[in-house]
Amino acid sequence: MPILSSGADAASRVAYRLLTERLAGVSAVNDSVDVETSAIVDQPQLRAAQIVEGTALRAKKVPNVSRGMASGFAAFLDGSQKVRIIAQREGIPLVFGITTAAVRSRANRRLTTWGHQKPAVQHRFYLPLRLLPPLSEIVGAQVDENAPWPVIDTSAPESKDDQVNPHPTALIERAVRAVDRDREALEDKLAEAWCTRAEGPIFIDGGISRSDKVATSACAIGVVESHRTLYVEGNALRTVLNLAKGERSSVFRVSPRLRNSVLSWYLRLRDTTGHDALWGLVRIEMSECENPGDRADEISRWVLAETSPLALPDGRWDKMSYGIREAEEFLRAIS
Amino acid sequence: MSEALGRVVATERKPNTPHEFHFWTAIDSPVGIGTIVRVDGAQPIDGQIPHIYGIVVEGFSYTDLQSPLHDVLGHDGLPTTAGYAPSERTEIRLYTAAVLRQIPEEPLQPVPMGQVFLADEADVQIALRMDSYLREGANTGIPVGVYRAGGTDAVIYLDADFLLGPEAAHLNITGVSGLATKTSAVEWLLSSLFTHFPEDKGSIAAVAFNVKGPDLCYLDQPGSVEESDQVLYEKLRVEPRPFQHVEYFAPYTAKGLSLNTFRNNEALLDKVTPLTWGLREVLQFAEVLLNKDDVDAKADALIDFIKENILDKEFRDPVLTKTHKVQSFADLDAWFRDVLQGMEKRDGESWRTHHVATIRKVRNRLSNISTRCAGLVTDTGDVSDLPFGSFADRTVYVVDVANLEEDAQDLIFARIVSKLREHLERRDLGVKHLVVFVDELNKYAPGDGADTYVRKMLLDIAERGRYLGLVLFSAQQFRSQVHRRVVGNSGTALFGRMDADELSTPGYAVLSPATRTKLATLEKGQLMIRHPHFTQPIFVRFPRPSVMQGREGAERYPQSSEIPLDAAVLRTLRQLDPTITLPWVQEITALYNDEEIIRARNATLLARPADVKAYFIAQFRKIIPTHTPARPMAASIKSAPENDPYGF
Repeated sequence: MPILSSGADAASRVAYRLLTERLAGVSAVNDSVDVETSAIVDQPQLRAAQIVEGTALRAKKVPNVSRGMASGFAAFLDGSQKVRIIAQREGIPLVFGITTAAVRSRANRRLTTWGHQKPAVQHRFYLPLRLLPPLSEIVGAQVDENAPWPVIDTSAPESKDDQVNPHPTALIERAVRAVDRDREALEDKLAEAWCTRAEGPIFIDGGISRSDKVATSACAIGVVESHRTLYVEGNALRTVLNLAKGERSSVFRVSPRLRNSVLSWYLRLRDTTGHDALWGLVRIEMSECENPGDRADEISRWVLAETSPLALPDGRWDKMSYGIREAEEFLRAIS
Repeated sequence: MSEALGRVVATERKPNTPHEFHFWTAIDSPVGIGTIVRVDGAQPIDGQIPHIYGIVVEGFSYTDLQSPLHDVLGHDGLPTTAGYAPSERTEIRLYTAAVLRQIPEEPLQPVPMGQVFLADEADVQIALRMDSYLREGANTGIPVGVYRAGGTDAVIYLDADFLLGPEAAHLNITGVSGLATKTSAVEWLLSSLFTHFPEDKGSIAAVAFNVKGPDLCYLDQPGSVEESDQVLYEKLRVEPRPFQHVEYFAPYTAKGLSLNTFRNNEALLDKVTPLTWGLREVLQFAEVLLNKDDVDAKADALIDFIKENILDKEFRDPVLTKTHKVQSFADLDAWFRDVLQGMEKRDGESWRTHHVATIRKVRNRLSNISTRCAGLVTDTGDVSDLPFGSFADRTVYVVDVANLEEDAQDLIFARIVSKLREHLERRDLGVKHLVVFVDELNKYAPGDGADTYVRKMLLDIAERGRYLGLVLFSAQQFRSQVHRRVVGNSGTALFGRMDADELSTPGYAVLSPATRTKLATLEKGQLMIRHPHFTQPIFVRFPRPSVMQGREGAERYPQSSEIPLDAAVLRTLRQLDPTITLPWVQEITALYNDEEIIRARNATLLARPADVKAYFIAQFRKIIPTHTPARPMAASIKSAPENDPYGF
């Protein structure tokens, strides 16, 4: 879990001041440090999925791909998070997190903030309250999500047998997971608002299965760029890893245990020559529909169209659409 | 209140200062180079919300693209496919503005963050400190043009006290040739000046030297005014009409028959007065025509002697055969001849300490003047001049020297300016303020080259003229090549479209690259203005002058070619008496030579008598008409009878 020193920003300084006012024995962490949240990930795994387009997973060339093909996406949704260790008390890391999410709608090829729902920005403390002095002595006096900068107890059990591990790294990981959950909640809230108005297809960075409403909406399209879990096994894996540029896999159904079932397929956005097998590979999620193959072709064309302009200089440019990069830049600016 | 069109931004790398700030706008905002904006600060200073006024001097545009190569990669090296991208890259319009004014002015602080608004007309007045001289009851504003940006039309005023003195004075115009910017700007500005110059500041007139082309020759003739210009005239509160009072002055051609001006068409001659000078007028400015190689100390002494002792005086000397009264070049030549002959007779080498070689040299040089300046300088001594002492308010006096030799141009310029200066010093010119317009300063006041009399005079006006009410409006193509003290003393500077080479000279380094680019691409009718009240140059539009343009005038009133003497006399005299006919002129002049006829015409024109015919006739010497002797009747010859050998 990389921890980067990047100098305290204004929000971190305020957060630190609030903490020191309410909690004795807090000592500063020089310049605050960012926690690289992407480093806290699941183990890579393969998981079988039910094929819904044909009987076996095959590579299919997306039809009617051309330079001038249009994209049907009317908006892009993305979220971001910053996790900062701003102080420690007797070795316990005190984490401050900022989570954001926004919908960037497109008009005349220009992206602007969606007018019907403001971008969401949350500032929160993520503290293992069980390991710290009583809550009354700390910020906000109580756990109150409506307070300006509420406190989230990261020592609360995440499952029935969950025990708080006082190892500082474990505490940081718990905080990061809490921040993740908050960011996902913000994203889901915005996605649901968009789907309620149904103004057009929306490109969502990540999966769509968390929210019932989003997972069943025809306008929500999730594009997953990370592949810690690959929903293929055996020959299907080989098929997916050998997809050529402009090819997609057959549509399959993803049914996570705690989430909603959605249709999904893999799509290769860029030529892999000279690159690894996951180069330019995305997994797309959509709600259940009658002709999943045709719909997958249509959406694949849209996603392929979104590869221009390049999302450079972002390191994930091979998979990322420019709209998502623009949304990330926007979120960075407001957080 | 208008909507904000931008926001001030500052970074450590690009911070704001008390004299400069940065702001961004929407892509489609009407901001451009030269736009005036207002920043409303967010935090009060001493209880007052700060307002900062600035003018955009630089603009930047960029996207989130880190390398141009990324764009090439993104479109497979095919620019045509770039248009298919469903999203445009995020793009910024970032502008740098130079501070025009901060309110409150103290403490002077870096420009704070805040919203940026397009300046409205009231803002423009404050930003340019025009509010200090547009006050009710003390308004000294002279409209020079309209500032236009994003729907704002604001009249820009020059302060008369800083244009015509006494605070500062003079105006200099720079611009490439051929776009009519310089002449048009002066014509427009004179119109505005004559309309808006405050009555309580006294009378004003202008003397314009037309040094090339016919541009200034039709100031009294109406020109076409387009609808867009009509709007500007209304906004600037100047009536679109030609100058109401214009007088033209031009010398004769070398032959002396017609006036040497583009405006010698018969239809326009009524306002043209001949410009002719005699020996007295020329000798005062001999040094203009005689260079230092010509006039050494000895020659100078002789010329002084002539001016002091010979000119207009009865002069006797033992070496001379008669008493001389020198009043013209002809008289002077006769005097020289007499002196030299007398010296030869006496076999003397010097006369009154002047060596014979010096006398011959001065005679040669002075005699040449009447040849070099033929048409302007008369052998006879007739003088027809500008109305020094009776200059009229709001009148333009155009001296057309466009067709003259350089010597004659220099002489005219030097003498007229000197006379103007003399009269203004004595406060008897007829007007309190006088604008002198001189084009082609590159020629008359170059930064390098010989220190000519004309350049010295221009320097003198530039440095001291404002105390007298003598104001120089000058123009040139290359400001960098004009004497620094002439342009440096010009309180107000106008710039039309500029040449790129000129803009690369050090004098323009104070302008931002964007401003220089704008200057290089200005349209007709656009100017950049520097004025003492303005802390930064301002771009304005001015209307096309409502006078006939030179080219149109030359087509409508073609210049007359050289005509026979009797026709030239008729043309001149008919201005005074329309009943005069060609047969009458031919009858009166039949017995006289060309010189006598021209002299009679000039004298009549100068005197403008009530009875033109009688006056003209009276100018000729009496000649008893020659009569062909009648052949005497021959006596009949008697034939002798053959038988009478003696003939009886």
